Amino acid sequence: MIERVCLVLSLSLLSACATYSGRGVPAPVEDRGTGTVVTPAASPRPDAGSSVTRAVENTPEPVRDTRPADETPIVRSPSTVNPAPTEPAPPAMPATASSTLLAGVDAAIAEGDLERAAALCERALRITPRDALLWYRLASVRAQQGRVNEAEGFARRALSFSANDPALTRQINGFLQGL
Amino acid sequence: MQKSKPEATPSDPHTDTREPTPGRRWWPLLKRLVLALMLAIAVWCIWIDHEVRRDFQALQWALPARLYARPLELYAGAPVNRQTLIDTLQALGYRAGQEVNGPGEYQTLPSRIRLWTRGFEFWDGHEPSLYLNVEFDGDRVRELWGDQNTGSLALVRLEPAEIAQINPSTGEDRLPLRRSEVPQALIDAVIAVEDQRFFSHFGVDPVGIGRALVANLRAGEIVQGGSTLTQQLIKNLYLTREQTLRRKIEEALMALALDFHFSKDEILVAYLNEVFLGQQGNRAIHGFALAAEYYFSRPLEELSLGELATLAGLPRGASYYNPRRYPERATERRNVVLARMRDQGYITPEQYSQASAENLRVTASAPSRGKAYPAFMALVRQDLARDYDSNALQNEGLRIFTTLDLRVQETLDATLEDAVKRVERAAASGDNGHLEAAVVISDPITGEVLGLAGGRQRGYAGFNRALDARRPIGSLAKPAVYLAALESGNYNLASVLSDRPVTIALDGGQEWSPRNYDDERHDDVYLFDALERSMNLATVDLGMQLGVERAADMLQRLGFAREVPHYPSLLLGAVDMAPIEVAQMYQTLAANGFRSPLRSVEAVTTGQGERLERYGIETVQVSDPGAMYLLEYAMQGVFTRGTAKTVANRLDRNLPLAGKTGTTNDLRDSWFAGYGDNLVGVVWLGYDDNRDTGLTGATGALQVWSELMAKLNIQPRLTLPPQNIVWQKVAAKAVTRADQRQCSQTLSLPFRAGQLPTDTVSCEESESFFESLLDRVRRLGR
Repeated sequence: MIERVCLVLSLSLLSACATYSGRGVPAPVEDRGTGTVVTPAASPRPDAGSSVTRAVENTPEPVRDTRPADETPIVRSPSTVNPAPTEPAPPAMPATASSTLLAGVDAAIAEGDLERAAALCERALRITPRDALLWYRLASVRAQQGRVNEAEGFARRALSFSANDPALTRQINGFLQGL
Repeated sequence: MQKSKPEATPSDPHTDTREPTPGRRWWPLLKRLVLALMLAIAVWCIWIDHEVRRDFQALQWALPARLYARPLELYAGAPVNRQTLIDTLQALGYRAGQEVNGPGEYQTLPSRIRLWTRGFEFWDGHEPSLYLNVEFDGDRVRELWGDQNTGSLALVRLEPAEIAQINPSTGEDRLPLRRSEVPQALIDAVIAVEDQRFFSHFGVDPVGIGRALVANLRAGEIVQGGSTLTQQLIKNLYLTREQTLRRKIEEALMALALDFHFSKDEILVAYLNEVFLGQQGNRAIHGFALAAEYYFSRPLEELSLGELATLAGLPRGASYYNPRRYPERATERRNVVLARMRDQGYITPEQYSQASAENLRVTASAPSRGKAYPAFMALVRQDLARDYDSNALQNEGLRIFTTLDLRVQETLDATLEDAVKRVERAAASGDNGHLEAAVVISDPITGEVLGLAGGRQRGYAGFNRALDARRPIGSLAKPAVYLAALESGNYNLASVLSDRPVTIALDGGQEWSPRNYDDERHDDVYLFDALERSMNLATVDLGMQLGVERAADMLQRLGFAREVPHYPSLLLGAVDMAPIEVAQMYQTLAANGFRSPLRSVEAVTTGQGERLERYGIETVQVSDPGAMYLLEYAMQGVFTRGTAKTVANRLDRNLPLAGKTGTTNDLRDSWFAGYGDNLVGVVWLGYDDNRDTGLTGATGALQVWSELMAKLNIQPRLTLPPQNIVWQKVAAKAVTRADQRQCSQTLSLPFRAGQLPTDTVSCEESESFFESLLDRVRRLGR
């Protein structure tokens, strides 16, 4: 016990003499680099070269239809996936921003995260603000959350854009009556 | 003691003949003393041990709240051009290059931009890091695609720009990292240069201390430190800079305790997050993650070996080696770090020579936080104050997602002062004070505030006129009067009003004689014309028929939340409002009668991305769609025929737009509020001391508004008529007697079915029931 305390005390005394020059204090270049050599760690270094196989840019610019031809496949980190939980769209109908977000809305509802579903509807509305279906979708999410007043507001806004879709208009009117 | 001497006789063999030495006699006492001292030291040790364990386990830094702008969304058709994307990427610290090798890099090609996003933990989910190509079609995105695996991409969201933060009272700022997030090269560099035996010593390093001691004795001054990382951490966390012996002992004991109870990794990560690495005003930069952003505007994981070594050299003296102020010193220091890494086998000689030849590549200036958009930030604070106290905002590391649109705000900041100067000169009022300004720009769909100016000067942080300057709104109140009238069912756009001088008896025997701005009279005028040309007398005629209460009620339905005085002068805007309150009212008009509260905050999460609060769109219908449509007809007419037609040329790409000028008594306030499909904007101009500006709404605020909106490429109104709208012809000139009607010149105006123009003005050929039936049969036959 005494030995340990003595060790600590002496170490402290020693370290007090060998003061670390603190923050902000200019210090000359030090010279203590001749000590133990530590084996370099095997982990990758940021500059050790990227795992990406780069695409070679052909000139002139490729025509739109043939553009993937000049893109060598890229090896990506595992976290790199599609931007949103997209339903695989049929090849003839490529996914649009709205359809991608609407698929996300469905996924969020399935997960029970209604607030996220509402948020995705709103994101889609910023892109296509006159989409009656989106407003109606938002209304039904709010209704599911029990936020009836908000649901009504959104349903009425949906109605203001649904004039050219009688079926949807009927559906929204039915929804409003059900609230 | 002296007495005992004679008693001891040599004859007694059992008696100890040796006289007790003084030392021997002190010994028991000394033993007790040492024991007590050891006990005290033991208690001290236990206490220190306990303290270290408790504090380190609960180690939690006060973290500032971080505020983000609305992120840029990319999709086919997105209103983003090439330059906007490049500007955004540069603001986010992306590096341009001849190739794209990883996150945070982009490449400009003749037909497109190729980039690799960083990904971000948004409040509504994770946005992955993504490689993509963006092709443009003028001011819009034509298409997005990744590579052969991902193919066409529908929607990509960039990381949001950090626009401000709310700092703890300590001024300390940091971005805490987890062990897995720290690049190994940084750890190697720090270990190599600060504490090479870190993984083998037990908190204090006798070898290191000895070496430092020898070096210091040799030099005759302190040239080397023997403190371990653990000791440095202890010093930063617990102790003051006082350098007494007791502190040193305490520090060493704590370091031992820390090393005993916690893993090397835990201690290392705490050190990497704690260490002081720079100072920006009263904001102290702590930890390597924040230092990476501060010096390089990039996340730590994107830094090169040389850049990491630059940072690893800073703990020794962050201001002395400041790479912005003393690039030579910083370069020299970096190369010392690199040399140590090479000597200790962390890097190869080739890596060393490559990295030590690099430029420092620090950004010219650190992104300023909390100063860039003070007016908008004031609104954010006001909105947040409903749910968060300042303690939570200063200490809990909250992430706040605001609605700020950087493109809008930057355009506003870059345009406003010059635009105000131009009209100020034109006013020629001879005053030497500054004409002031306030602007609010919002999104008509969502009610999100996109940009805000509280004064004419960019970045002005003083009196926020947009939020706090309540001034009479003048003719900006008129749309409420006309909407209330149209909605009542008793008026249509072709209702004939009297624009003649009138005197109204007020309560208390006073009289009120309103005048037109130009002191002219227009006698009989159509309702739409009276609004388009902002006629005061016709408006008073309409409002007095309708009732002031209904106008006041409409102001409140449109979103004005405070009390409205029920005086006749209210009809001409004798009600004080701040620009943000006007923006709320016009928001409702722009959304065709759906009121949505203006918002500046969309969501709040914890530092780890866990959602705490979300402020979504809310909307409530406050006015009949048919009446709204008719009102908008006249509000659009303001640009084509009315008080705003002077700017029709400048906005010819953008029309139709809707809006209203406002001018107050003695030209004290110049207002314009207007909207397209994607933006609502309110501009106020005036002097703080209420002086005459020499400007009307049209010669002042409208000019600023239109310059701003042209730059922001405001989108035309595409308001579709509700089903009950019909178009009918009326005589071009308003009359009150049918025998004066002249149908040689007619106007076509929208009407709500059931509220058609009166016979006095209508120029529709009246068809009998039989004739219309015959007409239908004929059509069927065709």
